[in-house]
Amino acid sequence: MATPLPDSSQKYDLGFARWVYENVKGGDQLSMCMQCGACSGSCPIGTDMDHGPRKLIMMIRAGMKDTVLRSNTLWNCTSCYRCTVRCPRGIPVTSIVQGLAAKAVSLGYADEVVTSRFARSFWWSVTHFGRTDERLVTAKFYFSFGLAEGIKRGLGNLKIALDLILKGRMHLGLPHKVSDTGGLQAILEKAAEIEARDQLGEDKS
Amino acid sequence: MSDYITRTGVYLCQGCGIGDAVSVDALEQIASTELKVPICRRHDFLCSNEGRALIDADLVGGDVNQPIVAACSPRAMTDRFTFDGATAVRANLREQVAWSQPAGEEDTQMLADDNLRMAIAQATETLPASAEPEGEYSRTLLVLGAGTTGLTAALEAARTGYEVLLVEQQDHVGGWANKWSKTMPHLPPYRDPQANSTDELIAATEAEPAITILTGALVTKTEGGPGKFTVTIELGDESRTEHVGAIVVATGWRPYDAGKLSHLGYGQSTDVVTGVELEEMLGEGPLQRKSDDKPAKTVVFVQCAGSLDPDHLPYCSSVCCGVSIKQALQIIRADPGANVYILFQELRTPGTAEEFYRQAQEAGIVFIKGKVRSVSADLGLVYDDMLLGEEVSLQNPDLVVLATGMVPNSTNPHIDPAETGADQLVSDVNPNAPLPLAIRVIDNNDDKSKSEPGENTEAVNGGAAAEPVLPGGALLNLQYVQGPHIPILTDGFSDSHYLCFPYETRRTGIYTCGPVRRPMNMAEAAEDAAGAALKAIQAIEGAARGAAMHPRVGDLSFPKFGLDICTKCRRCTIECPFGAIEEDERQFPILIESRCRRCGTCMGACPVRTISFDNYSPHMVSEMIAAIEVPDEFSEKPRILIFACENDAYPALDMAGLNRYQYSAFVRIIPVRCLGSINLLWISTALEKGFDGIMLMGCKSGDDYQCHYIKGSGLAKERLSKVGETLKSLMLEEERVTLEEVSIADSGRIPEVINGFVETIEAIGFNPFKGF
Repeated sequence: MATPLPDSSQKYDLGFARWVYENVKGGDQLSMCMQCGACSGSCPIGTDMDHGPRKLIMMIRAGMKDTVLRSNTLWNCTSCYRCTVRCPRGIPVTSIVQGLAAKAVSLGYADEVVTSRFARSFWWSVTHFGRTDERLVTAKFYFSFGLAEGIKRGLGNLKIALDLILKGRMHLGLPHKVSDTGGLQAILEKAAEIEARDQLGEDKS
Repeated sequence: MSDYITRTGVYLCQGCGIGDAVSVDALEQIASTELKVPICRRHDFLCSNEGRALIDADLVGGDVNQPIVAACSPRAMTDRFTFDGATAVRANLREQVAWSQPAGEEDTQMLADDNLRMAIAQATETLPASAEPEGEYSRTLLVLGAGTTGLTAALEAARTGYEVLLVEQQDHVGGWANKWSKTMPHLPPYRDPQANSTDELIAATEAEPAITILTGALVTKTEGGPGKFTVTIELGDESRTEHVGAIVVATGWRPYDAGKLSHLGYGQSTDVVTGVELEEMLGEGPLQRKSDDKPAKTVVFVQCAGSLDPDHLPYCSSVCCGVSIKQALQIIRADPGANVYILFQELRTPGTAEEFYRQAQEAGIVFIKGKVRSVSADLGLVYDDMLLGEEVSLQNPDLVVLATGMVPNSTNPHIDPAETGADQLVSDVNPNAPLPLAIRVIDNNDDKSKSEPGENTEAVNGGAAAEPVLPGGALLNLQYVQGPHIPILTDGFSDSHYLCFPYETRRTGIYTCGPVRRPMNMAEAAEDAAGAALKAIQAIEGAARGAAMHPRVGDLSFPKFGLDICTKCRRCTIECPFGAIEEDERQFPILIESRCRRCGTCMGACPVRTISFDNYSPHMVSEMIAAIEVPDEFSEKPRILIFACENDAYPALDMAGLNRYQYSAFVRIIPVRCLGSINLLWISTALEKGFDGIMLMGCKSGDDYQCHYIKGSGLAKERLSKVGETLKSLMLEEERVTLEEVSIADSGRIPEVINGFVETIEAIGFNPFKGF
């Protein structure tokens, strides 16, 4: 269980910043940021972000919890690691952004986020089959918007789907599976157990 | 010296490409046949032992007492061509001929010929310089101010073997540093506040037998010059006179008067304090609010309080960021649960302070870039967050700390300004520029304003707003014709050549160091103090030998005044950048030799050309110009004369040669001590002689001057502006005479500058006076 998210009413209430220090991997490095902007300057898709990494870090310090967790920055990051490589203070910016994305999902901030929906569909396929079945991932993703929207989106891609089938690029029939699905489930259970144990350990410390 | 006979001898070098570039036979011809120099010898490598022996033999035999070395630049091989009892005149055939001109061409040969002719003319007009210092010279240093800087300076000088008189106005030594709970780190790893070692410094100084400490003492009068200062000191009712050789001014700083910062809450709440006040609070144990003695859990530091602000201090004091980091670390170390914010506009952590900054970040201190708009009486703080781009309010911190800047004690706020000619405290690099606010502020409440905030606020605000008044009297009350103050440049800090010789003030033998010179921390001030103490020792030793201080170190020549034709115009007195010239009761100039820096600015100023050095004079340079052969207009060979400042421009020209940059061979270069020494006579001589253009090449002038004599290049510019009209009256184009600012690093620009000017002159056409 994650530490409950603090409620900060005032700018530069350090509650949120400290929560990030403690709950996000690499977050303890946040205080070292000197706001030079090397990260934002290096970001290849910075122009498509609500806030560049520099500003995101400043907003964490400023306690702007909702803005940070709803920011599309978390989802548009391509994990190219340029910011991390170039940070003169050695802050793992990419890890922090990824960690915040994970927290945004677990805290329900990302339910409506397209990237998050897609990630959930992807995860569903992987955990069920041990493989990604493009048809099912796409379908699951489309129908997460609702039945009507799912049909609409599906029909919109009909021609592409038919072409893919004709060219033999998309298979028909049951989804591919790993042979030992039981083993897969065992792996996932073990992973969950380790995660829970680590979380418990951190809470204890 | 009138019976002195100059016996010249020319020594030609053929090495380093000179022999390949020009005909040394032709040069020998010029020396011995054309100019009848009795002795002319040549060698393949004049700087070799054999070559040097050639010259030595003639000097020892008495055939030659003024050798002319036609070889490399006068800046090269100086040790090789320095002789006992004789100073070689140098003709630059290497850097400015062989290395910067194509070999074997007619124009290259003509340039070499003229360089040799000029050197021979110079040698003929040169007398050996000698100084005969008279009387008693004091070897004692006076150190004014016994804070960190003054104590360190005194200790350094005493340990070097000099007597020191340490004068402190307060009744105790140590200065501000006495009050610091801890100090910024000046030892590796530069990450933690250090224990204040001022007590040890004081103990070491007091234990030093060579140091005499006078507390509660005030310097009321200073006369004389290096080696011979006479200082009157008041000690209560007693007045005593001391003789000292040099003076180190370490009067330090005072915090900017926070009483003027009411918009930042100062005076409205006792929980808004200055950094200096916080030091005392930190020294008293756990940090408590003054209003209700409750512990201060949330502390906000406001950086640049009254700094970078045209209405207060226009400059950055550079130290306050480090101090606030130190205090913030002290607070958070004492109470890890404390919330400490530092609100900065520009966090300046020079040098090792960057490590300190990292440490503060690791400790969890929050740095916010923002400009504070206001702090209310209940500590509500509103600021513009520069990184979030919005206005933010911080509600009710427990304590607000204003990091106020440093005001230099370049005047004494305890003395009535009127008493010591406060009206003479002007920035005379640019006398018309308004004085920055920093020094116009009334602040004669120095110490009290620190310990009892707000006491004098009303009076100060009222007075300053109504009519700006100078902040105090002269520190040393110099009895100089040029006024009682040590000249300042901007913002009230004392004037010195910031990069090259920072401790040298414009009053020779008086050295400023520490925060009176520029804002600095204790470690920097201690370093400064050691530097200034050494400069002061050099001044003492130099004065006793009659030798010049920086930059013409060791020069024994000094200007001589032909009073028979002096018109008492006072230009030399006024224009001397170092206040070296006094006036007698009939208003004739008198040189105080030990104050003189030998720049020749007086020589350039004199309208009747009656000021000259034994080895540098209006006549000598005129003869050098006259020695140059100027071809007639049918030859299609223009001639450009360049007066190059020996400090920056001449080395830049040499370096252009070193880099093998080629430039026009039509230029003839004469090194001058400073552009300020250029007498307008030379310009008219050159134009009459038929020179087509004249370029003055020297250092940058203005507030960010590079001139080694501070005012020289500015004065040259000023004087040159008046030449234009004279030229017009002679029907000559103004463009024929120009001034080019060149720094020592500008060698790459030399060809462009020279060739560009030659093109301009060629476009204008030849000088119509040619051939008259």
